[in-house]
This record gives sequence, structure tokens and C-alpha cells, in this order.
Amino acid sequence: MEPQQSFSDFLQQESGKLLEQTLQHIGLTFISLLIAVLIGLPLGILITRRKKFAGLVLGIAGILQTIPSIALLGFMIPLLGIGAKPAIVALFLYALLPIIRNTYTGINEVNPSVTDAATGMGMSRKQLLYKIQLPLAMPVILAGIRTATVINVGVATLAAYIAAGGLGEFIFGGIALNNTNMILAGAIPAALLAILFDGLLSLLQRVQLRKARKAVYVLPVVLLLLSSFYLLPPAYGSKLLAGFTPEFMGRRDGDLGLRSVYGLHIRTVVINDMIMYKAAYEKKIDVISGSSTDGRAKAFDLVVLDDDKHIFPPYYAAPIVRQSALDKYPELEPALNKLSGTINDSIMTELNYRVDHLKQDPARVAKDFLVAHQLWKPARGRAKGTIRIGSKIFGDGYILANMYKMLVDGYTDLQGLTKTGLGGTKICFDALVNDQIDLYPEYTGTGLLVILQAKQPTIDSLIQDKQKVYDHVSRAFQQQYGIKWLKPIGFNNTYALMMRRQQAATLKIRSISDLKEYLTR
Amino acid sequence: MIKLEHVYKYFSQNKAAVADISFEVRPGEILVLLGTSGSGKTTTLRMINRLIEPDKGDIYVNGKLSRDQSPELLRRGIGYVLQDNGLFPHYTVAENIAVVPKLLEWDEDRITERTKILMEKLHLPPAEYSNSFPSQLSGGQQQRVGLARALAADPPILLMDEPFGALDPVTRASVRNEFKALDELNNKTVILVTHDVTEAFELGDRIGLMDQGVLQQLGTPAELLFTPANDFVKAFFKDQHLLLELKSLSLADLKPYLPPTAETDHYQPHVLPGKISAWDALQQTMGIEGVLSVDFRTEVYTMDSKSLMTAISLYKQTVQAHGTTTKL
Repeated sequence: MEPQQSFSDFLQQESGKLLEQTLQHIGLTFISLLIAVLIGLPLGILITRRKKFAGLVLGIAGILQTIPSIALLGFMIPLLGIGAKPAIVALFLYALLPIIRNTYTGINEVNPSVTDAATGMGMSRKQLLYKIQLPLAMPVILAGIRTATVINVGVATLAAYIAAGGLGEFIFGGIALNNTNMILAGAIPAALLAILFDGLLSLLQRVQLRKARKAVYVLPVVLLLLSSFYLLPPAYGSKLLAGFTPEFMGRRDGDLGLRSVYGLHIRTVVINDMIMYKAAYEKKIDVISGSSTDGRAKAFDLVVLDDDKHIFPPYYAAPIVRQSALDKYPELEPALNKLSGTINDSIMTELNYRVDHLKQDPARVAKDFLVAHQLWKPARGRAKGTIRIGSKIFGDGYILANMYKMLVDGYTDLQGLTKTGLGGTKICFDALVNDQIDLYPEYTGTGLLVILQAKQPTIDSLIQDKQKVYDHVSRAFQQQYGIKWLKPIGFNNTYALMMRRQQAATLKIRSISDLKEYLTR
Repeated sequence: MIKLEHVYKYFSQNKAAVADISFEVRPGEILVLLGTSGSGKTTTLRMINRLIEPDKGDIYVNGKLSRDQSPELLRRGIGYVLQDNGLFPHYTVAENIAVVPKLLEWDEDRITERTKILMEKLHLPPAEYSNSFPSQLSGGQQQRVGLARALAADPPILLMDEPFGALDPVTRASVRNEFKALDELNNKTVILVTHDVTEAFELGDRIGLMDQGVLQQLGTPAELLFTPANDFVKAFFKDQHLLLELKSLSLADLKPYLPPTAETDHYQPHVLPGKISAWDALQQTMGIEGVLSVDFRTEVYTMDSKSLMTAISLYKQTVQAHGTTTKL
């Protein structure tokens, strides 16, 4: 394995991107925080006066808080599309509860004899609010804003999933690419931002009550200033907008290859694989980095652009298994190999289509396929041992993991146990190396480029020939990790640039070179 | 200055917190509302500055129906002192005192001047305390600031809700004495709420004893003691009855019951003024052998502790037989 470049080299090389992402991150955090303060503070004040709404408002804000962040972002897409809008709304919703709750608590906790005295002296409700309640509740309200800020800095990393930018681009790209430097380049600044803003707000919180009166005026100005970071213009524009996954962004056989081999410079947003196809279909983005067997390409009527300069290597899927598991249970390998050669590209696309678009259960799709190919046998129900089968969070992975479970159950005395949804390559592979799972389906190209991080000459010598790639990774994995590549399943799930069929036809774009031509025209 | 007519307040449907309260307080008079907690005395007080709105009945402040006046303007004309002082913790002492004058939009110089005068009168040297925060003061000092705040705009009316209740007995007595001596109180209408019988007898020109939301009896301290309106009033003072009697009776009250004086006894070495209370007189007679003189301005009596005690019991017998007191 080629030694990774040092962290400082990476930072230097990517400093432009890092700055842009950091500013976007700060911007996202504070725009949403500003809106949350503008809405949460009055709402908090309102419910101290209309106590019967307090339970309702705090309840709703509390429920919003419990929605998993990724799910909340998911809900936003049908309503608001992709990009900044849904991200800001989601972050705003997360920031709302601490602000409302602390405003409510802060005002309620003002000593009743103080408010009683103020009213008794002849203050109006407005005077009471501005002269007494808000200044006295300010430390508690600031604590709420502080909590909301830290939450937002954290959750804003997820904005990268829906093309809203921020430090999540590095974090998710790094996880997908097994690139620790890239993960750290996102995670460390995000953590530093959280610590920095938390510290600054705690300073503000600790200033004397007397000066806290001024905080009421300073805070909105600061928030507004920080929010404006997000509105800095993007580096360059182009006629079409591409949405690439974080993984694709950092790969040599991805965006980097497109730039160096094709000279393709297209305005790009980073987007999550799960929503990319739909976003293309809904014309939010024009070009996506799909995978060639993805069922959604069929569902959303997208065409694959011809890779006329061959930058996407073959990605033949095969199960990779811990040698120790194969040694312990010799019956395992023949069982797993039953699947070899049975699934070609179009079958895999069809299977994915059933799962991704028709929303059928992966287990059912897997069983239907095995039954149709007379491979299915009822589970023997014996538990001589357990085989843990992992998968990444793509349709391919879910279906294959289920098939392997059924094969293990039906052909051996072992019990298959699926651990699906292990995120990207890095998470799956680390799980395998660390004996958390026994096998998962992997692609030869990913093995070569991401896990082995092969050098350019090696890649150039292998990349055109699928058998050579397979042989190379088999040998290297066995040597370096004690992991065996079983026989390929048959289909080639490679990267592919995709566009809407309609648009591609109108613009007469058939290949990636055509696309480049069109953009530079 | 303040007049309540058949005032009711209900917090729950069937039980009145305050029922059919009527009384009038004149300028320069201190009315004490006395009662246990839950007797409705604080509710009555808070209805006067409209912190609580009455459900029935009329309240007149400065001759006008209170409900016809804007609550804020009404309150700015009424000084208000609370038990746990309710000082604004984020305001300095000077700012706390200046709250009402600021609301009334006095000019800066006048506010500064007034604040200074009040702080001096209440023994809070401005140089030392103007810029202190309430949390830096002792309980007694805080209560004095509360008093200064209530008096700042020189309101004709002062409402005091257990003003000395949160203080320890020693501090309470000293703040109370300062309060009694304040010239600021001249010609003010004061209503003071307390559960402390001694305090009521010491400060009140008249006392309204409340129980279960009803005004059981309203009158001078002596009236409440010697001609209680009902068993509740009688029972309320039972524990401290003798002390209160002795404190509320002056030698002048007892004059008809003191033995006639022989010419030869004129001008004993010890002379007591006629206006002092029987309690004080008794303490004096206990301390000396023999007799002493009492100076009633027009004439002089001679007495000893025995004849004083006899006079007290004769007074009580007479008053209880007639149902009236000489003070009436």
C-alpha cells in the first residue's frame, strides 16, 4: 500500500476547498441559528404569557428534535428540493427547541417577587419584558443559543448529503474513500468550530448581568455577520450543474479523473447517493455520478454517458471473506460460490429497480431470484456457527447480503447473520479486518483504488482488463489482510455519468467528451 | 384617600378569598391588615393597586374608582413595598430607587437629587451604596432600599406587604423604628399587611383583623383588645393579651381608676409622664421602692405598682360591663 500523504500536505493542497467549506459551514450554522432565534425567542416569550400553549409548542419542538437528522433532511427534499434551503430549514428546526425552551424557562425562573415589584411599580408589560425579564433571563437564553449552536455545527456536517456544502463534504468523502486525512480535514475544523463558538458564547454568558443588557443588541449583529458567509459566491459557474457523491468527488476514477483526463470542469455540488437520482429527475441537477446497475437509473429515465476515454475501471462484484472463516468452515466457500456468474448487469439493474423504486423488501427480492434460479433451499436451522455478512448502504449490497444469508442457511449448518447498512467502503472494510463481520460483497475497482490505493502506473497497467484487476486485488488482499476474493458474481457496477434522457438528446450529448465539448462551447 | 366598598374576590368558584370587605383609610393614617396566612389580607392589598382585580365591589383611590384608571398610571402613584423586597438584581441601588421617577419621566438631575436624599434618610450613605448591587447588601439594607424605592416619587399612598417579615427580629425592630421615625410618612395613606401582632399594635393607628377572607373587626388596638367583636378576635390575642393590654393602655386611660392623691405625697423623686403605656409604667414601678408621681399636666397623681394593677383591673371590669372604652 502506498503511504498516504501527510495531513499537513493534504491541508495545504486542499486549503481553498477547506476555507470554502468552513465558511459555508459557519454560514449554514448561523443562518439557521439566526432564524431560530428570530422565531424561537418571540415564541418562547409568547408561551410564558399563554401558558396553555406552552406544552403544545415545547412538545412539537421536542418531537422535531428527536427526528434523526438524516431523516429530517430526507423529509425536506420533496418539499424544498436540495441545496441550502432544506439544510437551513432542517438546522433551524433543530435549533428551535433549546432556544424556545430556555427562553421559556429563563423568563419563568425570574424571581416572581421581582416581576411582581416591577408590575407594582407601574411598568407596562413591554417595559417589564425589556427592562426586567429579558435581561434577567439572558444567561439562560444564551445557554440555549449556545446549545443550539453546538448542535448546529454538528448537524451541519450532514448538509453535504443534500448538496448544501459545508465540512461534511470532506467527512463523508473521506469515509467513502478510506482517506483519513480527508475525514480529519472535515472533522477537526468542525470540532474546532463547535469548541470556538461554545467558548465565545460561554464568555458572553458569564459577563455581568449589567452588561448582559447590551448582549441583547450585539448578538443579532454578530449572527447576521456570520450568516453572510454562506452567501459568498461559488468559485465558478457553468451551464450545467453536476451532483456528485462525496466518494466520487475525491476519486481518481471520479471527479479527479474527469478533470485530468477529460478536462471536464463543471459546477458541482456534493450530494448523497440516496437522493441524487431523484434530484436529477426533478431537474435540480443535470449530471450525476451514478452506478451503472442502479435501478433508479431505469426508474427515473436517465442515460449513461459513454466513458470514451476509459477512466472508470471495471467494478466486478465478488464476496470478500476472511480467510480464517473459510478455514474454520470449509463448507462456506462452495455455498457462497453458488451465486457466481448468475447475475449480469441487466439482472442486477432489474433487482435494484425492484428494491429502490418498487420499494420491495431486499430479502424478498433476494429469495425470488434464488427460487427462480433453483438455488433456494429452506434453512437447515442448525447453528454450528454464525457467519456475519455485511453490506454497504446501496441496493446491491442489501440484496446480495440477503442472498448470501439464504445460501449459508440453506447449504451449510451455519447460520447467516446480516449486518447491512455499514456506510461506505471504509466502514465495511474496517469491520471485516477487525473481525466484526466475516464477509461482504465488494467491487474489484474499489479494492484496487480505494483499499489498496494503487499507484498510477499500476492502475494504468491493469485498468483496461477486468481479469487483471481481479487477479491483482485477490493476490494483494490475501497477502496484506488475509482476505480472500471469491469468484465474481458477474455484473460490473462501475461509475457512470448520467443525464436525463430528454436533456441528453436535446443537447446531443452521448459521451463524456460530448459533455465537455458542450460545456466549453 | 382609599375606600373599599363591599369588595369580593373569588379564586375558586364557591369559596371567596375575600368577602364583603369595606373600609376607608384617611390621609396620615396607618391601617394595619392583620391575619394568618390565607386570611385574604394580601389579596385585599393587591386589589388596591390592581395587581389583582376584584370580582365584585368598588375600590376608590384618590376619590376615583380604581377600575377607571389605567393600571400603570395608578400604580406609579402608589408606593409598593414587598416582603422579600423584590429589588431588581441587575440594577444598582440608585437605579432601583429611581425606577418610578424614571417611569414618570422626571429629569435626570431631579432623580439624582431625590435618590440621594432618600438614601441619606434611610442611612444608606450614597457615596458608599449608590453603585452597589442588591446582592451586596444585608437583608436590612435591602429592605431599606425597597422602602426608598416605594417612597421615591413621593406617592400619597403606600402599600406595604409584610415589609419587615423577612428580617431577623433584631433587624426587624431597628428597620421598623426607622420607618416610624420617617418624616416622609407625614400625611401619607398607609396600608400595611402583617401577621405579626406586636408589629400591628406598634405601627397601626387602626387594625383590621382578617380571617377566612372576612374583616372580623376594624378598630383601634384598644378596641380590638377590650371589646372584641367576636370569639375569633378574642381568641386571636389570647396568648399575648396581658402584654398587649398593658402596651395599648396609657396612664391617662387609667387615671379615673387610680387612687386619689394625698397632698403630702406631692412630687416624689420619680415622675412619669401621663402618656406612657401601662406596660412601661409597670416596669418603672417594679424597679423602685415605694411610690412615684405621674404628671398629667393639669394634675399630679401618686401611685405604686399595687395601685397601678388595681387600676388596670378596675378599668377592665368597667369597660367589659359597658362595652365601650374611654378612647372611643
